[in-house]
Amino acid sequence: MNPIRSRSARAIVIAAAAGSLALTGCSSNDSGKDAKDQSKSKQDAASQSKPVVYGDAGASTGPAAEVPGAKPGGTINIYTQSDLSHMDPGQIYVSDAGQFANLVHRKLTNYQEDDKGNLTVVGDIATDAGKSSNDGKTWTYTLKDGIKDEDGNAITSADVRHTIERQYSKVIFDGPSFVQTWLSGSDYRKALPDGPYKGKHLPDSVLSTPDAKTVVFNFDKPRPDLPQALSMAGYAIVPEKADTKEKYDKAPKSLGPYKIAEHKPGKSLKLVKNTNWDAKTDAVRHQYVDGYDFTTTIDQPSQTKRLIADQGEAKNAMQFTDSVDPAQTSTVIGDAAVNKRTIKGYQPYVWQMSFNLDRLKDKKVRDAITYAIPNQSMIQADGGKYGGELAGGLFAPTLPGFDATYDPFGKLKKPNGDPAKAKALLKEAGVAEGTKLTYAYSNTPRGQKQMVIIKDALAKIGFDVQAKEIDRATFYEQIGKIDNGFDLYMTGWGQDWASQSTVVTPVYDGTLVADGQPNYSHINDPQVNKLIEEALVLEPEAAAKKWEEAHKRIVEEINPAAPVYYSKQLQLFGSNIGGARYSTNSSYIDINRLYLIQP
Amino acid sequence: MLQFLVRRLIGAVVIMFLIGAFTFFLFYTVPQDFAQLSCGKNCSPENIAVIRENLGLDKPITTQFWEFMRGIVAGRDFAVGHCSAPCLGQSFDTGDFVWDSIMDRFPLTLSLTVGSLVIFLVIGLGSGMLAAWKRGTVVDKAVSGASMVLSSFQIYFLGPIVLGIFVYSTGWMDNPKYVPFLESPIDWAVALLIPWAVMATIFTAQYTRMSRSTMIEQLQEEHVRTARAKGMPQRYVFFRYAWRGSLAPIVTILGMDLSGLLAGGVVTEFTFDLAGIGRLAVDSSMSKDLPVTMGVMLFGAFFILLLNIVVDLAYAYIDPRVRLA
Repeated sequence: MNPIRSRSARAIVIAAAAGSLALTGCSSNDSGKDAKDQSKSKQDAASQSKPVVYGDAGASTGPAAEVPGAKPGGTINIYTQSDLSHMDPGQIYVSDAGQFANLVHRKLTNYQEDDKGNLTVVGDIATDAGKSSNDGKTWTYTLKDGIKDEDGNAITSADVRHTIERQYSKVIFDGPSFVQTWLSGSDYRKALPDGPYKGKHLPDSVLSTPDAKTVVFNFDKPRPDLPQALSMAGYAIVPEKADTKEKYDKAPKSLGPYKIAEHKPGKSLKLVKNTNWDAKTDAVRHQYVDGYDFTTTIDQPSQTKRLIADQGEAKNAMQFTDSVDPAQTSTVIGDAAVNKRTIKGYQPYVWQMSFNLDRLKDKKVRDAITYAIPNQSMIQADGGKYGGELAGGLFAPTLPGFDATYDPFGKLKKPNGDPAKAKALLKEAGVAEGTKLTYAYSNTPRGQKQMVIIKDALAKIGFDVQAKEIDRATFYEQIGKIDNGFDLYMTGWGQDWASQSTVVTPVYDGTLVADGQPNYSHINDPQVNKLIEEALVLEPEAAAKKWEEAHKRIVEEINPAAPVYYSKQLQLFGSNIGGARYSTNSSYIDINRLYLIQP
Repeated sequence: MLQFLVRRLIGAVVIMFLIGAFTFFLFYTVPQDFAQLSCGKNCSPENIAVIRENLGLDKPITTQFWEFMRGIVAGRDFAVGHCSAPCLGQSFDTGDFVWDSIMDRFPLTLSLTVGSLVIFLVIGLGSGMLAAWKRGTVVDKAVSGASMVLSSFQIYFLGPIVLGIFVYSTGWMDNPKYVPFLESPIDWAVALLIPWAVMATIFTAQYTRMSRSTMIEQLQEEHVRTARAKGMPQRYVFFRYAWRGSLAPIVTILGMDLSGLLAGGVVTEFTFDLAGIGRLAVDSSMSKDLPVTMGVMLFGAFFILLLNIVVDLAYAYIDPRVRLA
């Protein structure tokens, strides 16, 4: 889930760039509070890094367990600083639209989260997480009874087939492509160029619907991650009869607990109850409030001010995917009454200094830069302890197999780097004093602050850093070019679901080096490529060892990107919002269980 | 008069065409791949090609320009449906028709403009005239002093202070928002009271100073002195002769201020988290959503040209010496 690629996602990252040098102004009492907060985040991370369990029919049966004290009624006000990038589920691939999708759309599978944050993949409109056969190459789903769209039309296997097949058409270009690629290869569009719109379908040997309740996926390799892939908002159901192609992005039909009553692009969105959603069919979602009113023009500082003040309609309001304004973090944390209205936890993103391996060919040079980077200062420029945490590796705390002690570059002991070691490595590499390095950075406030830190740190070890500022809107376009002309740049990447495959494959698989692809370092190591190929067809627990091996090979033997920090989330909500908690699934406020204390 | 009006309108159409052509070629010939900009995480070459086709960027630039200009007059067809004239294209970012987006935002911008205009014209011109009438007295000094101080304020300074007091601290008022006038005129006014007050405070100060100085100038004119010498009542001289004469420079500045406000009060909208034309312009510019940027630019240019014509017509009414030949 690279959050920066799409237009709206950029805003999310800017928002997530919770910076607060102001945190240094916290009182001494804050240290205890901080320790408690950090401890809770680590507990959540421990839950997130456990292998995901696939649930059976029992776990998939609704209704979801009642939230203690929940009451029905009222409307929750949502503050966001930009509109949703998409509402057509096929086009949804970023966090804000993903949160929205939880309220409006339904998928074959979904994540169920217990009180401790442990995740289970359960059936959403399917009776369970899926039944695999044929050595994991075939997955069969049976649909639950009573699933309807907002117009009351029953959902059948034909709708599921339609949902998958429309992803092959030109109508869809922004969503995930995991399932299509697994079914039909990387050139999947050629298998069904017009999608299902001209009456053609994928052959039964690929995707079949033997009856109105059954859907069968057939792959050429085992696809153990399918239940998790199908839980993505991008694979939420689009009823065949309701599909209006391009227009669907403006007015999708709901299967979830809420439906769209009014949308004013760039301004507001109003959700009301979907009366055709049946709680008995849903093991995850609730429908406590009558609706949600989104205002999509409130910037991060205003959101924070309004929610700190907690006056009038702000009592029923919450941040959606934005974070607390960095400049107001100390106010939020320092005021116990406000602090208790926050959720804190890890985001899935790892910020890393990507090296262009076509230009920085000597590993000793890359290691030297890695040692020289002052990780702690970089975090301070992006929100301090509530904005990020020092990274030892390239796997986020939200990934299975995360090891908090993994620290090959000794950053835990020397959080602001080891210039002496860096200099020694450069000497060994024969790098002359004053050697030029081109550092590309985005012209965001965070990018500009971090540029000064990097320039200063690398100058101390003898580099002459040429900083190249790039417009934030085109940053990833520029660095995504193979021949980009830069030596190093900060990039962020996060998982699509709790599997290392969604990190290692897109970012470090050498077979995917191309213009516009997220392999920003252009790493192409045969051993890593082989490990990826092997891990992709293994069950999660068996694959974990392969992923760990690949991770260590990448970080220690090749070093295409220096780990800098794991990003964190700090969100505020009004005093009348009940049931708010950090979701280990979404890494935001758990949108599925909210209610109003005084409706 | 009619001849003047027709000539100015034809001129305005030509200028609009030139602005449209200039901005189109300026924007569309920059070395930027807008398809890639619109491409999300899953940015494969195939997806970029699909976006390029969807946005019509695969066509020659001259064809794109022709379709753009034709759309303004006759409308256009897009994948999401027909865009009726005046069609300013489709947003790269949201897929919405640009004209629809502008029309959706315009009521707020118009409301902000009209509400603040009424306040600052009534109070600004009134207090300026009062100060001029009472020149040299305590009233004049108080009005001049206050307008001097207030004119140095900015919306981004005064706005947060007013919000802090009336919304965040006391909770006496809710955050400003837009309620359609036809839905509830009272709610419409109450919800926009804070931005009106803040905008009007700053504009009132400017118009007070301007109206005071132009009135004082007029009161020293020979025709005013002659009128007084003839024994005309003071009030008649003040309003019939001096005030009317003082309006010409005020109307000129008002025309410029109004066109700016109608094209979008960016600072006001961002200060109060409101979604009007100004925010649309900034958001589209930040996200390199060129059809929207162009549309807002043309919309703003339209108001500048329109208000220029209105100002010229107003001159003729205010000052009979002005001929519109």
